[in-house]
Amino acid sequence: MNQPALRAEVSQMAELSGVVAQLETILLGKRSQIELSVACLIAKGHLLIEDVPGVGKTTLAQGLSATLGLPWNRLQFTSDLLPADVIGVSVFNTSTNNFEFKHGPVFTSVLLADEINRAPPKAQSALLEAMEERQISLDGETYKLDDEFFVIATQNPMDQLGAYPLPESQLDRFLVSIALGYPDSDEERTLLQTGDRRQSIDSLKPVAGPLQIKHWSEAAAQLHVSDTVIDYIQALLNTSRLGDNGLSPRAGLSLVRLCKAFAFLQGRNHVTADDVQHVFPALAGHRLTGQVKSGVVAAQSLLDSVTAP
Amino acid sequence: MIGLRRKKTKNTKIELSTRSYDAMAVMILLAQLPHIFHLPIWISVFGIGIVVMKWWSVHNPGNSKINWVLSSRASVFWGVLGGIAIKLHYGYFIGRDPCVAFLFLLVGCKYAETRKQSDATTLMCLSGFLLLTQYFYSQTIFSAVLTIPAVMSLGAALGILNEHSKRSLASHTRLVGRMLVQGAPIAALLFVVFPRLPGPLWSLPEDAAATTGLSNSMSPGDIGQLSQSDEVAFRVDFDGAPPDTRDLYWRGPVMSNFDGRNWSVNTLQADGAIETDDGAYSSSAGENEKRSGNAISYTVTLQPHNRKWLFALEQASSLPSSGESDASKNRLNPIILSDKQIMSKLPITKLIQYKQTSLMLDRYTPVTEPSALDLILAGKNTRTAAFADELYSQHNSPKAYANALLNWFNTQPFSYTLQPSLLGDRPIDEFMFDTQNGFCGHYASAFVVMMRAAGIPARIVTGYQGGEMNDDYMIVRQSSAHAWAEAFINGQWVRYDPTAAVAPSRVDYGLAQALPEGEPIPRLARLDNDWIKRASLRWDKVNHGWQRMVVDFNNESQSKFWKKLGMPDPQLWQITLGLLILAAAWCLWVLRPNHSALAPLTEDQKHWRAYSQYLETLGVTRLTGETGAQFTQRASAQLREQNELIKRLGLAFSKLNFEPLSNERKIALRTQLKRDLKKLSGVARRAKTNRLAKRAIQGKAPATG
Repeated sequence: MNQPALRAEVSQMAELSGVVAQLETILLGKRSQIELSVACLIAKGHLLIEDVPGVGKTTLAQGLSATLGLPWNRLQFTSDLLPADVIGVSVFNTSTNNFEFKHGPVFTSVLLADEINRAPPKAQSALLEAMEERQISLDGETYKLDDEFFVIATQNPMDQLGAYPLPESQLDRFLVSIALGYPDSDEERTLLQTGDRRQSIDSLKPVAGPLQIKHWSEAAAQLHVSDTVIDYIQALLNTSRLGDNGLSPRAGLSLVRLCKAFAFLQGRNHVTADDVQHVFPALAGHRLTGQVKSGVVAAQSLLDSVTAP
Repeated sequence: MIGLRRKKTKNTKIELSTRSYDAMAVMILLAQLPHIFHLPIWISVFGIGIVVMKWWSVHNPGNSKINWVLSSRASVFWGVLGGIAIKLHYGYFIGRDPCVAFLFLLVGCKYAETRKQSDATTLMCLSGFLLLTQYFYSQTIFSAVLTIPAVMSLGAALGILNEHSKRSLASHTRLVGRMLVQGAPIAALLFVVFPRLPGPLWSLPEDAAATTGLSNSMSPGDIGQLSQSDEVAFRVDFDGAPPDTRDLYWRGPVMSNFDGRNWSVNTLQADGAIETDDGAYSSSAGENEKRSGNAISYTVTLQPHNRKWLFALEQASSLPSSGESDASKNRLNPIILSDKQIMSKLPITKLIQYKQTSLMLDRYTPVTEPSALDLILAGKNTRTAAFADELYSQHNSPKAYANALLNWFNTQPFSYTLQPSLLGDRPIDEFMFDTQNGFCGHYASAFVVMMRAAGIPARIVTGYQGGEMNDDYMIVRQSSAHAWAEAFINGQWVRYDPTAAVAPSRVDYGLAQALPEGEPIPRLARLDNDWIKRASLRWDKVNHGWQRMVVDFNNESQSKFWKKLGMPDPQLWQITLGLLILAAAWCLWVLRPNHSALAPLTEDQKHWRAYSQYLETLGVTRLTGETGAQFTQRASAQLREQNELIKRLGLAFSKLNFEPLSNERKIALRTQLKRDLKKLSGVARRAKTNRLAKRAIQGKAPATG
């Protein structure tokens, strides 16, 4: 690596750690989840946050888009949501005698899909199609979405009433799934003393922009992944396939991408086995069981059964 | 000649590679190596020189002179010339030594003219045969071990000769080594169970070989020279407890002929025409003797000495038996002579073993009266004769006379030495009254002459006295060679050992004790227990065991083995079937699919394995899902003292495993890693020994409490 490139990377790292630091001010004591979310965005993946209401899912999603300086839309999923409410609708314009496409909330950089499992499957699949293809086809026309298009979806755990669980095939579209969990008592105390953080989101200053995120993504993709790590990932994939829900090759590719992004976030130029272990539950959890919480347990036991380098 | 030339051009296509020549040169040199110990020097130089020359010419082609010397026709010439020279050197050609020497040369010549693959194959068979012929000379462990590298190189050469893809020499050697190891159990099994022929299938023509040990004549100084030799004469396994050293008289050549200076065996008897009947001598050993004597049985392993004598303790009560149940198959064909010498029909040219029983007596009743030979007094030992007359007149009974004579030896200033004064033409007179120093031979002959001068039949018995226990068996060396006297008194031959009268310690404790200080003693006969002696005794034990277990494994030991297994006398088809099944099982086991062998460990993985093993010894066991970094962290937290070392090692592993590194950096890291691993292994070893010691102490504590 030559000198200027190295210097550029060092400055990028500084900004990256700024992103994480800023997010930590609004979501107390959740560094690991924040890091995973940022790594997910750098790896160009979509993020699924699952937890009970009120632990800061939306705060994290809003904070992420604000800090990264990306235009964002928020879409509250409800049980009567229609696909047109997600992707937009063609309306007949009488003055031009033509159908005109009215862009839906999906045409943005960051889409906050709040409580995605409250919407019926039809509306869900409309969004998920957009996530995969990064484009929308309607009435024979194709509309491209932003290059940097991220979906940050939140969902309530399945045992809550009035929820439509996402099918496994659609869960696969999310690169990372995280659970936030309740804050520690210290952090909760601070929270109670200083008040709700949601107001302070508006005061957040963007630390980076779309261009920067693109650079980060490209730089992270260049990271060195040694044969040892590839061997380890292969062993993990193979072992997962001994069960019912094996990890797909796409999941394997995603794992490599996410590991690189995470290592990049840590300021390293190579991926270690610890990186793999760190991101693996978030990546594999929802893919192994179709649920986040039980998935994390399954992923962890998988990690414990495979010899790590 | 035209044919030859055409053949040559045709074969240029399949010329042997330089590598093949190298491999064959190594193979031949290793096969030749064991032979240089016994071959005349010129044959060694000739045979090895021709190989070296050929090898040099392969690596330096274009030297026409050398090529001419090594051409096919020249090789034939060298072979013929060598044959003639060998015949001239040995004086005969059909015999072990010249034939082996000829083979030695021919292998070299064959190498010189080897041009194509078929030549090379022949050459390999030849060198295999040459390798086998070394067992004509020596069957010790050493010679067996010496064969292993030669067999390995033979296999490697065969591999190189037939290779289609180029493999490294190391990989060839590994392959051959693995095949040898895999084949060894089957070979061992075949060795034990393959039916053995009761006698030798073929025998070697006899050579005129040098004799060692006692001979059929004794002149002053003979035994003194023998006493300087550490060579083993024979080894004995006693069935019970060994008798006292002072009673160990191993009877050998008995000498009645005296010419005034030299003693020799009765030539008539040595031709072996006297007493061959088993019954004749058992009647000679009277019932009284049998009862009063202490009967012991033992097994003698006799080194080849190229004479016919078999040694037994006095007095032998049986014929030596080679262990065969059927007496007619007795390989030794021993006879016992009237003077109790035991002789084999043929000279002992190879190591033999026989069972023997003896009655521990110092006298026996002969079947025949003593011959006139036992009274002959030659020479001009007049002073001795006069002294004998005078002494006998004082006592008047042979027994009293003999005792008085022993007493005289004891009281006169005689001294025991291996470096006696030189004696002139009246040796007995000079020894008795002037020099008064000498060893067993001198005393025995003086005693016999004194007895004969008084009209009592007497003769010299030579053999070995004493022996040295090495754990459970006894070694009798040439340095134990001894001569004593036998006199015919009251119808019995009675043993008298005048040496014992002069130097009792010779008989009680051995040579070293009897000699005055400052005299050279053979190293192994010395009394002090220095390490050379200890090592030599241990080595002797190993070799004796090898001899007993391997070389002497015959059909008798085989049937014992079957009996031990609980199935005496198995049929040939049963053995064959069992062998086939066992061999097949072994092959299946060897060829079993081995998954771990599919992906051999890399250097780093081996290091990592060592690292986790050391840490496990130190009490930190690696968990399955634990990454290297986590393991290292846990270990360094747990093992505070080795904190630095473990962290450094963990970091190195993580760098080697994950980081993009240049090759130089990797090598440097690995070097440092190896050094650190060595340190850690030392720590682990110390911890292990400490733990074991602690456990030992804890184990002891309740016992004492």
